[in-house]
Amino acid sequence: MAKGSGSAAIQANGAQLSARLIVGALMVVAIALMTVPLLMTAYMSVFADGVVTFPPSGYTLSWYGKLAEFPKFGQALGTSLKVAAAATLLSLLIGVPASIALVRLSFPGRGLLNVLLLSPLTVPGVVIGLGLYVLLVEVEIRSELPLTGSDGVLILAHLLITTPWVVRLCVANLIQLDRSIEEAAANLGAPPGRVLWSVTLPMMRQGIVAAALFAFIVSFENIEMTLFLISPGTITFPISVLQYLEYRFDPLVASVVVVQTAVIALLLLAIDRYVKLSKVV
Amino acid sequence: MTKRRPEGLTATLLIGPATMVVLLSLVLPLALLARYSMNRYDRRTFMVEAFTPENYLRFVTDPFYTGVLWTTFSIAIVTTLLCLILGFPVAYKLARSQSRWKSIGVLLVILPLFIGSTVRALGWMGVLGRGGIVDAIYGALGGSGISLLNSSFAVALGILSINLPYMILTLQSVIEGIDARVEEAADSLGASPPRRFWHVVLPLALPGIGTGGILVFILAMNAYATPFLLGGARFQMMAPMLYREFAVNNNWPFAAAIAFILMLTTLTLTAASSLLVQRRYRAH
Repeated sequence: MAKGSGSAAIQANGAQLSARLIVGALMVVAIALMTVPLLMTAYMSVFADGVVTFPPSGYTLSWYGKLAEFPKFGQALGTSLKVAAAATLLSLLIGVPASIALVRLSFPGRGLLNVLLLSPLTVPGVVIGLGLYVLLVEVEIRSELPLTGSDGVLILAHLLITTPWVVRLCVANLIQLDRSIEEAAANLGAPPGRVLWSVTLPMMRQGIVAAALFAFIVSFENIEMTLFLISPGTITFPISVLQYLEYRFDPLVASVVVVQTAVIALLLLAIDRYVKLSKVV
Repeated sequence: MTKRRPEGLTATLLIGPATMVVLLSLVLPLALLARYSMNRYDRRTFMVEAFTPENYLRFVTDPFYTGVLWTTFSIAIVTTLLCLILGFPVAYKLARSQSRWKSIGVLLVILPLFIGSTVRALGWMGVLGRGGIVDAIYGALGGSGISLLNSSFAVALGILSINLPYMILTLQSVIEGIDARVEEAADSLGASPPRRFWHVVLPLALPGIGTGGILVFILAMNAYATPFLLGGARFQMMAPMLYREFAVNNNWPFAAAIAFILMLTTLTLTAASSLLVQRRYRAH
């Protein structure tokens, strides 16, 4: 009897060990999948040869020096940062109030509006892009205004895909917040505007930072929708890399990407000092 | 009763601008697109006003197009499942970690999100392409020149590496919401770790699995850059095909029809799966 339970325990231990091994292996694969492409890109950016072949004949940093000769990438990065920043700001301006209304107020059609505001998340980007382009052309024909390819159109289009993220994250954040603090402020005589400004908004800080971060991400790396709205003059960074890769695959484009990654990583670290990202997301 | 009226007004002011943006730049374009999809394509004038279902019929009757839809769908399903299986352990570890490395770990998951799909595709080109690492290792072992690019494997790998961070972040936030004491209780009542996982953690994490799964599935159905760069000319998925129909063939009515087929497929599947999750969640 004792022997039987002993071997059962050993068997159970064996099962636990193999389960642990499987879980460990899954984690290694997951981490490899996320990091390998980035490490590989960084590695390729120092290859000496103009064509990517492994192993390289030597290593050089000269590709980074050549970046200045390709102002197109810099311009595209500028456009991307500008559009993403503007879309993030505007989507906070309209998304935060909307989420406060959705969580804190009761009005007819609230459920429907909630679905409507989140709906851009479920529509494929290529569909939104094509639809917007078609609409722009119709408006252009009627008004004779040059709209396609302008920064304003790009920002407005990105506003559509950033706003649902702001609403989603702020709603989730507001639901967790204690409503009684706002009620206390109101009972102590603070007018609604004051309650909103000095109580609700400061309490939402983490949610707003997370929302801003995600809004920026989805705008910055969007390809599917933006593809339909660019013009030769205004191109976003991911699309300029995509167009380059269509014809050439060399260490130069890898070094472009490494510079971009470094810029973004520094930005994230700076934000992390201010608000702990691991608590926010 | 007296409070109702001002509250309705405040609500309108607060939610109005966001609603206008969605109505004007999503609902209106979609309505227009629906109209376009009924028009007829003409070689010289490009588009003729009509009211015909022939664009949709062309799609569903041509095995090439239904094949592309099927490829897109299977890639999306496979990558979504793999994202779940691979993402869960990392998300769990991050959620339950107390160490100071945690915020570095979360940063490392967020960082790839900022870097975008083109860049990830670039990295995979260096690994899988001709002259890439796999090719070099294979050559050193005595094989001659292989390229794993331009295959469904390369596309699935690319999409997987792009979508994993989204899945991990969604799961992590849900797992953090699960009270650790519930697991401790299961543990002290004698449940083995696998049993604890299947009967306690997994059912409680189901809403997160649903949200994350849907998000990742939509991203995969929608993928443009990855199939374009890693799949090559012969591997077709819906988004690149739609773009080509629009930009190269100038066939806007057919592109609009493809857009609606893609959207309806995605919406039907996400609605069905969220219903499924909700039902299971209520049962528990």
